[in-house]
Amino acid sequence: MSSPGEESSVSSGFVRSYVITGGRGLPDAEDLSLVTLVTLAPDRQPPPNPSPEVKAIWELCSGGYLSVAEVAGHLGLPVGVARLLLQDLNQQGHLLRRKAPPPAQLVDRKILEEVLHGLQVRFG
Amino acid sequence: MALEVSLMTFPQGPVIWALVVVALVAVGAVLRARATNIKLRRGNAELSAERDTLLRQRDELHVVHNGLLQRQASELAEVRKDAEEETKAVLKAAVRTLQGLADEQQVVIEKAQRKYGDDPGILADLMAMDHANSQFGRRAQGIAVLCGGWLGRRETVASVFDVARSAQGRIRHFDRVRVNGQVNFSVVSRAVEPVAVVLAELLANATNYSAPGTPVEINIQAVPTGVCLIVDDAGLGMGQEEKDRAAALLSPQAAISVSSLGIPPQFGFAVSGMLAARYGFRVSVDSVSPYGGVRAVVLIPDELLTTEVPQSAAPAEAPEAYDTYGTQQQPQAAPQPDQWQQAPAPTPLFPPADRRQDTATQQLAQITTTSGGLPKRRRKSPVSAVPPAAPQPVRSNEETASRLGAFQRGTRSGRDTTTTTEGSEIQ
Repeated sequence: MSSPGEESSVSSGFVRSYVITGGRGLPDAEDLSLVTLVTLAPDRQPPPNPSPEVKAIWELCSGGYLSVAEVAGHLGLPVGVARLLLQDLNQQGHLLRRKAPPPAQLVDRKILEEVLHGLQVRFG
Repeated sequence: MALEVSLMTFPQGPVIWALVVVALVAVGAVLRARATNIKLRRGNAELSAERDTLLRQRDELHVVHNGLLQRQASELAEVRKDAEEETKAVLKAAVRTLQGLADEQQVVIEKAQRKYGDDPGILADLMAMDHANSQFGRRAQGIAVLCGGWLGRRETVASVFDVARSAQGRIRHFDRVRVNGQVNFSVVSRAVEPVAVVLAELLANATNYSAPGTPVEINIQAVPTGVCLIVDDAGLGMGQEEKDRAAALLSPQAAISVSSLGIPPQFGFAVSGMLAARYGFRVSVDSVSPYGGVRAVVLIPDELLTTEVPQSAAPAEAPEAYDTYGTQQQPQAAPQPDQWQQAPAPTPLFPPADRRQDTATQQLAQITTTSGGLPKRRRKSPVSAVPPAAPQPVRSNEETASRLGAFQRGTRSGRDTTTTTEGSEIQ
């Protein structure tokens, strides 16, 4: 019998990722890409008996849009696992999601010309 | 008359004499018989005395013999025990290496899962590896326990629910297991691994001895003296002989030798019994589950429970993992998820209520700047332009093409002339 001092500590994660997914197939990366933004749909009640991960996502996403990559990062889970959980919530209608933010609205040429003109009048 | 008398006595004469002779002979015989009898009695007494002595000697010898037998038995037991101890010591040392390697490998797999988590194919393969490795680790832990070794200590408390899920991850058919019920208790750090290993052994039994595809349930229930983890399967149950064997192995006094576990070794109950005795929780498998199979119950007493809330999965693990990870990976081109996670901690540039959204924007902005080198103003505009809830319509292919074309035209014109602005070219 060894003394308690000999017991080394275990450093690996405790709950395995395949248990969190329940051994289900992982969704395609196209579906919810890293930069897809997600947030909770308004006036939604959390699903009954949520797993700790779903609860954490619920809290994370209630504050506004967050990217899939960030959700995964905050949960400390692989992106694919977070994606599956988000997909579940999405299919239950709890999530609003959005593709990567669209580029800036292009400014009307006329305004630019007017600004240029104004600047030239003033400083030119 | 005299004649008559003589005639009368005459015939009597020989009879009398004969009688006298017979009497004499009889007396002689009696006397001789008596003498023989006396002699025999004497002989008999001598013999019985001799027998008593011999019996006494025999008893003495018997005692000596028994003593010798006992000595031999105890010496044999001692030799066996020594041999067993030596075997255990060797096994323990060998298995400790395996345990360490399994743990190390698990950490590597975890990192790989985070690194390549974006690719479902790779992640699925890594999960399969993780699954195999978890089972390997559990086996190594089981042998270590039987050899008097240790499991490895967790540094933090874990919720009862997570202990159940961790146990679930250590068996082959984890997908048949359902965990029901959550209680607001956590298991103290020193008991986290033992309870998880015991529960995993019970789950392994439950899944192995019930029909494939039937569910195995873990129900978590708070009871007055602690928390019960109840494992129910829908198998055939155990016969009385098996129950007795299980009860013997699970009892705290059970003496278990490595060599008595059979081939292939069935050490689930032995491991459970030893761990339960060592850490002070109870395991029983003597009841029948509502589904007809075995009901195994692990009772975690109050001493091993705490109301301390485990640091939630997310922020506790993530930063540490990514820090070490980041330092290792920085020289190389880090994969995209890590770039994101290594982004600077959110600074409160905006009111806290909008913190998360702003964090997202900042990081997006950074990416845009680094990759495109676009004017600074563009980074902010998406946020201000984004309505908070309404999802943007998906851009059509034509629109994308026209915008890309516009961009191309813009860059071309930018190279050709210095005076034309970007805006003037893009319509």
